[in-house]
Amino acid sequence: MAEAMRANVASLLKGIDRYNPENLSTLERYVDMQARENTYDLEANLAVLKLYQFNPGYYQTNVTAQILLKALTNLPHSDFTLCKCLIDTVRQEELPTKMVMKLANRLEMCQFQDFWIDLRNDPDLTMGIMGFEDHIRKFVCHVVAATYQTIPKDTLIQLLGGIPDSQVKQWINKYGWKLIDDETVFITNQEENIKTKNITEKITFDSVAAIMAAHR
Amino acid sequence: MSVMWSEDFVEEYNPYKTYPYPPPGIAPEYEVHTGDPRQDMEYERQYQQQQTFIIPEHIKLFLTYFRKCIAEQSVYGIQDAYENGFNKLTDRFFKTNPWPDADVVAPIVGHDHTFLILYKELYFRHIYARVPSGPTLEQRFESYYNYCNLFNYILNADRPAPLELPNQWLWDIIDEFIYQFQSFSIYRCKLNKKPPTEIDHLRAHPKIWNVHSVLNVLHSLVEKSSINRQLEVYTNGGDPDSVAGEFGQLSLYKMLGYFSLIGLLRLHSLLGDYYQALKVLENIDFNKKNMYSRVPACQITTFYYVGFAYMMMRRYQDAIRTFSNILLYIQRTKQMFQTKAQMYDQITKMNDKMYTLLAICLVLHPIRIDESVHSQLREKFADKMLRMQKGDIAEFEANFGFACPKFLSPVPPNYDTTLSITDFHKEPFQLQLKVFLEEVSQQIHIPTIRSYLKLYTTLPISKLATFMDINEDELRTHLMCFKHKMKNVVWTKGTSGLEGEFQSASEVDFYIDRDMIHIADTKVARRYGDFFIRQIHKFEEITKSLKSLNA
Repeated sequence: MAEAMRANVASLLKGIDRYNPENLSTLERYVDMQARENTYDLEANLAVLKLYQFNPGYYQTNVTAQILLKALTNLPHSDFTLCKCLIDTVRQEELPTKMVMKLANRLEMCQFQDFWIDLRNDPDLTMGIMGFEDHIRKFVCHVVAATYQTIPKDTLIQLLGGIPDSQVKQWINKYGWKLIDDETVFITNQEENIKTKNITEKITFDSVAAIMAAHR
Repeated sequence: MSVMWSEDFVEEYNPYKTYPYPPPGIAPEYEVHTGDPRQDMEYERQYQQQQTFIIPEHIKLFLTYFRKCIAEQSVYGIQDAYENGFNKLTDRFFKTNPWPDADVVAPIVGHDHTFLILYKELYFRHIYARVPSGPTLEQRFESYYNYCNLFNYILNADRPAPLELPNQWLWDIIDEFIYQFQSFSIYRCKLNKKPPTEIDHLRAHPKIWNVHSVLNVLHSLVEKSSINRQLEVYTNGGDPDSVAGEFGQLSLYKMLGYFSLIGLLRLHSLLGDYYQALKVLENIDFNKKNMYSRVPACQITTFYYVGFAYMMMRRYQDAIRTFSNILLYIQRTKQMFQTKAQMYDQITKMNDKMYTLLAICLVLHPIRIDESVHSQLREKFADKMLRMQKGDIAEFEANFGFACPKFLSPVPPNYDTTLSITDFHKEPFQLQLKVFLEEVSQQIHIPTIRSYLKLYTTLPISKLATFMDINEDELRTHLMCFKHKMKNVVWTKGTSGLEGEFQSASEVDFYIDRDMIHIADTKVARRYGDFFIRQIHKFEEITKSLKSLNA
C-alpha cells in the first residue's frame, strides 16, 4: 500500500507538476498515511510545505505539525531544519507547531530527560504518529553509541524515557551492547575509533618530479 | 567536488579574449572617441536633453554590425560585440542613462525581430545595472514580456531555433532572468512608498513575474534540452548527443538546459528549499571534468549556492569542501578577470561572501583546509572567528546577513493589509536567519567544551563540570550534543549531492568511559612541501627576469 502510494506520489512530483495545488489533497492524505503506517517520505512532505508556501490560503496547521513530527523520527538527519526553512515565522508560533518546535529543540540539544517530560505533559501531540517514541529512542541510541564506552544503566534508562527493564534489555541487545554488571552497560570499544592522530606531511616523488625536471 | 576544471578553463578562455576585434575587413568604425573628455561630456549632456534622440552614427554602425554577426551566426563576432563592443559604448555614452529605445533602433536593424529581442535583453539589463533610479514598474513589466518572447521563440518552435549565442551570454540570460524576478519580488513587497496607482497596477497583473512562470521557463528549458539524460549518459562515459534529441544536440539548448539547472538551484535556495536545490543537480558530476560549464560566473554561483545549502543542512564538512574548492579556484584565476571591471567586482563580492560563510562553518566545525585558503582566512577573518568562537550571537547574525543570498517570498503581499508593515520584504530573510541562529544557539557551548578538551588527554566529568560551572548531568547533555552536532552526513560517492554517510572529522574527539572523558586530539606537523615549491617558483621567476635584464 505504502509502496504503491510512494510510486504514485513520485510521479506527481515530476517536473513542473510538483507545484500544482490540485495535488495537495493527495499529498496531504499521503502524509497522514505515513503517520499511521510508520513510513516516511521526506521529499513528498517538503513538496507539501512548498505548496503551502506558494498558496498560503491552503495552509493546514495540523498537516504541518504531522510533517514536523515525522521529520523528528528521522533524526539524526537534519530533515526538521529543512522543513522549518519553508514554514512562515508567524506559522511557527501557532499551536501545536510551536510545541513540536520545542520538542525538536530538546532533541537537537540532546536534553532527552526534559524531552520525555515535555512529551508526557502533552501526550495527544504525538498520538497519531505510529512508532514515534521508538524512533526517538533509536536516535538516543545513536548519540549514546557515539559518546559512551560505558554508561550507567540508570542513566541509559532515563535517556530512553524511563522504560521498563525488559525493554531496556531489548535496546541493549539490538545494538549489541552488554551489561557488565547490574549497573553498567558496555557500549563499544571506543579506544579503537577515537584516538589521537598525528598528521605528518608525506611528499611523494611523483608530486615533485615535474618541478625537479623543470629546474635541472 | 574537485577543481579539476580550472586548468582546463584557463586554456579554453584565453584564446577568445585576445581575439582581434574588430575583425579585419568588416570592422565598423564605431570607435570614434574624440579623445577629448570635455567634448565627450558635452555630447552626453546634449544626449540627455534631447527629447527625440537621433542615434549617433557609430552606435548605428555598432548595432548594424552586431546584428550582422548574429544573423550570420559568427560566434566570435557576437562574443566580441557582446563582451567588448557593448560594454565599451556603455562606458562612453550610457554610463548612467539607458541605451536607445528598441523602437528607435528597429529601423536601423531592418526590424529584425530576433535581434530586437536580444537587444532589449541587453537594454533592460543595462537599466537594472546602471541607471541610478532603477527600472520603473513599466520597464519591469516590459522586460518580463521580452523574456517571454525570447523563451517562446526558443521553446515554442517545432524545429530548433536557428540561433547560437556565446555561453557567457546564455548564462547571463538565465542569471539575469532570475535576478529580475528576485528584484521584482522584493520590490512589490515594499509597499509603504508606493503611490496607490502603482499598487493597483501590481494588483491587476498578478501573472507578471509570477513564481510559477519563472519555474515553468526553467523546467521547460531543462525538458527541451534533455539535459538530465545527457548528463546521466555523460557521467557513465557515454556520448551525450546519443540521447540529446534534435534540440539538445545544439549548443543553444544544451547550454540553456544546463544553466537552467543552476538557475533552479539558485531559485530553490532563494525560497529556502535546500533539498530541492541540491536535488536538481543530482545528475551533475563535479568530480569529472565538466564540459558544460566553462563560464566562471556559473561555476562560482553553483558552488556558492551548493555550499550555502550544505551549511543550512548542517553538513558542514561538505560546505567547507565546496567553499574551499571554489575559493582556491578564484585565487588562482582572479588575475584573468582584472580587465573586466564589472565581472571582477562581482567575483570579489562573491569571494568575500564565501570566505565569510567558510569562517562560520569552520567555527562550527573546525577541520583542516587547504593551506592557502586558510592563510587568507586567518588574515581577514581572525577577529570575526574569535568572536563567533566566544559565542557572540550578534557576530553570527552579522556574518550571516552579509553572506547569505537575498531570500524572497514566492507570493505577493496582501496589498490591503500589509501597507503598515514596512519590513514585509525582509520576512523571508528573517525566517532563514531565525533557523540559522537556532542551530547556532543549540551548539553554542561546543566551542567552550572543545577549548577545555584540547588541554587534556583524560579529564574527569566532575572536573570539567566545575570548570564550566554547571552540574554533571548538564555536562553529559552538552557532551552528547557535541557528538550529535559533530557527526555530519558527508558526501562520499556518486553524483547526487544529497547522498552521504555519517562521519565525524572533528579535530578534537572524545568518548566517555564511566566518569572519565578520554580525549583524542589531532596533531598536525608543519608542512614544508608547499612552501619550498612556492619559493622555487619565485626563485625561477627572479632568475628569468634577471636574465632578460642582461639581454
